[in-house]
Amino acid sequence: MERRVFLKTSLALTAGTVLTSPLLAQSKQPVSWWYETATPANQRHIQELIIDKFNEQHPEYNLTVDYRGGELDKQMRVALLSGTGPDVVYTAGPSYVAPMAQAGQLLALDDYAEKYGWNDRILPVFLEMGRYEGTLYALPKTYETLGLFYNKSLFDEHGWATPTTIAELETLADKMLEANIVPFSAGNAQWRPANEHYVTIALNSIAGPENVHKALTGELPWTAEPFVAAITKLNDWWQKGYFGRNYFSLTIEQAFAEMASGRAGMHPGGTWQFQHLPTYFTSQNLEAGFVGFPSADEIGDPIFPLGVGSTFSIAAQAQNPDGAAAVIDYVFSDELYGAMNSVWQGEWNTPLRDLSKVEISGEVSPVYSATMEELAKSVDESEYGYTTWTFMPPATNTYLVSGIEEVWLGRTTVEDFLAQLDSRFRQEMAEGKVPAIPAR
Amino acid sequence: MHRLYVVPTLIINVVIILLPAMLTIALAFFRWDGITAPSFVGLQNFRELWADNVFWTALTNNIIWTAIFLTLPIAMGLLAATMLLIARRGSLFFQVIYFLPMIIATAIIARIWQGMIYSPVSGINGLLQRFGLPTYDPLTQPSTALLGIATVDLWHWWGFLCVIFFAALRQVPQEHIEAARIEGANFWQMMRYVLLPAIRPTITLMMIMTVIWSFLVFDFVYILTQGGPAFSSEVLSTMAYRSAFYDLAVGKAAAVAIVISLFGLAATAFYIQAQAREFEE
Repeated sequence: MERRVFLKTSLALTAGTVLTSPLLAQSKQPVSWWYETATPANQRHIQELIIDKFNEQHPEYNLTVDYRGGELDKQMRVALLSGTGPDVVYTAGPSYVAPMAQAGQLLALDDYAEKYGWNDRILPVFLEMGRYEGTLYALPKTYETLGLFYNKSLFDEHGWATPTTIAELETLADKMLEANIVPFSAGNAQWRPANEHYVTIALNSIAGPENVHKALTGELPWTAEPFVAAITKLNDWWQKGYFGRNYFSLTIEQAFAEMASGRAGMHPGGTWQFQHLPTYFTSQNLEAGFVGFPSADEIGDPIFPLGVGSTFSIAAQAQNPDGAAAVIDYVFSDELYGAMNSVWQGEWNTPLRDLSKVEISGEVSPVYSATMEELAKSVDESEYGYTTWTFMPPATNTYLVSGIEEVWLGRTTVEDFLAQLDSRFRQEMAEGKVPAIPAR
Repeated sequence: MHRLYVVPTLIINVVIILLPAMLTIALAFFRWDGITAPSFVGLQNFRELWADNVFWTALTNNIIWTAIFLTLPIAMGLLAATMLLIARRGSLFFQVIYFLPMIIATAIIARIWQGMIYSPVSGINGLLQRFGLPTYDPLTQPSTALLGIATVDLWHWWGFLCVIFFAALRQVPQEHIEAARIEGANFWQMMRYVLLPAIRPTITLMMIMTVIWSFLVFDFVYILTQGGPAFSSEVLSTMAYRSAFYDLAVGKAAAVAIVISLFGLAATAFYIQAQAREFEE
């Protein structure tokens, strides 16, 4: 008898679950988001900190994240063109937003910005970068900068001090070469655009951000003297062997590991590299440092070039635009900033105006926190520089990546490289492809 | 009625090949970023290509690539296939060994060569350097990057040709071979007068396909060097890809695609003509 009751109850429960699950699922409106590449550990962070938390807080929505890999931007373009694609449009940076907005593929975000108070919560410079013809179409997901990582343990061993001027940097690099140490650990084997990290540093630290701003707004040609001086200096460094002989063979991560091994001394790189510190330094009982890249004498303090790696928008043909807006709002919450930056640094530095309520766990490198504070300050005081991948239009930027290799390998001159760069920039500027450049 | 049988394949061909091909040809005369509305520019994309050094580098690289693949793997394949025919013992084992690289995905082969052979950090190259040998990664020098990539493709490709040629050689009537032996023909004479003439149609087909495939080469180049350093290993397909998806210049990419197709078309025309001749014979 008991057994019969048990069976009946089980059947009833099973039937109930089977019948009600689809109903429950139907009552939840799906929100789709295509993300780029993420390691299994980082996918777990997205699952636990974004998907699960968001779905818990918004029972009316069901957020799903689809990992599309390194080719996300191409898939996204094709999908949007055919009117399909996800609700949350995740682009590779502000330069991709203008043409999409121009083609009417994105939804204006001004109403949502007002509803959720994004205008007050997000730093104004970043809102300006997401505007096209006065309308808000995108919010930058994370901002980043470039500087100089160095192997502090190696520096201590040799009694070297961190360089504060270009002259000091060159003296130090020459000493490293004498000691058979590669001054700049760098590589572009799996990511050729890594070249532009060094061009960005040269343009901002030697030509200066004021000149870069003038060039980006069309006031100054890229062939002007300050840029010739900057690229010439970068080329001198290459020719002297500062980048080592394995630049084209190493991936950025391998290059970072070379610095930890002591075969290289410094790594001019982005703040996203902080994620590698635990693997290559902390676990080996080594210490790494990070300083702003030294600037030319007439510029003074180190310049922190501002970079935006990706942006959020909502597709014009989104199935669930309200759900997408709720997801974006959640990404820009204090709660997610604290939780994500405690476990995954460098990729979720959302441009929030007030970080006083944010709680980040104590394990985060103090150098990272100090660097991000410094960057936020220079953005606030309009003293930041410009990363090429954020502010240059697409064809100019891809030419820059390959063109600088031609300079390094002696297949073109600095002047010809800049002339080509300028001609592409002028053409794209005429076509309205230059991203929004905030006033200084 | 029997003509209806071709309808399904015809529909697939029209939808998957003819329409995109027509659209690509049309796009070559437009400026289009792949997002906003295209604007007609006439022959401007072709004029830009004509003046673009990278285009000429890419075209030259494709021609060098074709020359390499028309000679080396075909010679290696023929030689090995003949050896397999003569020395029957173990021929199955060698066929499997030669053919094996063909069944590995190109992306994996490329990464293996890049990371385990060429890399100065994790590869055999690095090991040799640590022993003090002055080796270098061929992919990093403009003068050797294309050859470095061709070596990888060659390693993966020649075994396939070997197996194809071996299959063809096995169809050569045994009496012809025996007659030549009785006549006292040596190895080269056997090749020259008996085996090569007998499998000539297979060799011709493979050579024509090589020309077509050489102008389509993309995967190994893109994975190993992405056309670099400094455009030194750029080929037409990587140039088209970069134009379309990085420069957002779809019109220019379409113009490059048309140039690629012209070489493919020439090879196809030659093939059809050769086939027609064979039928007549």
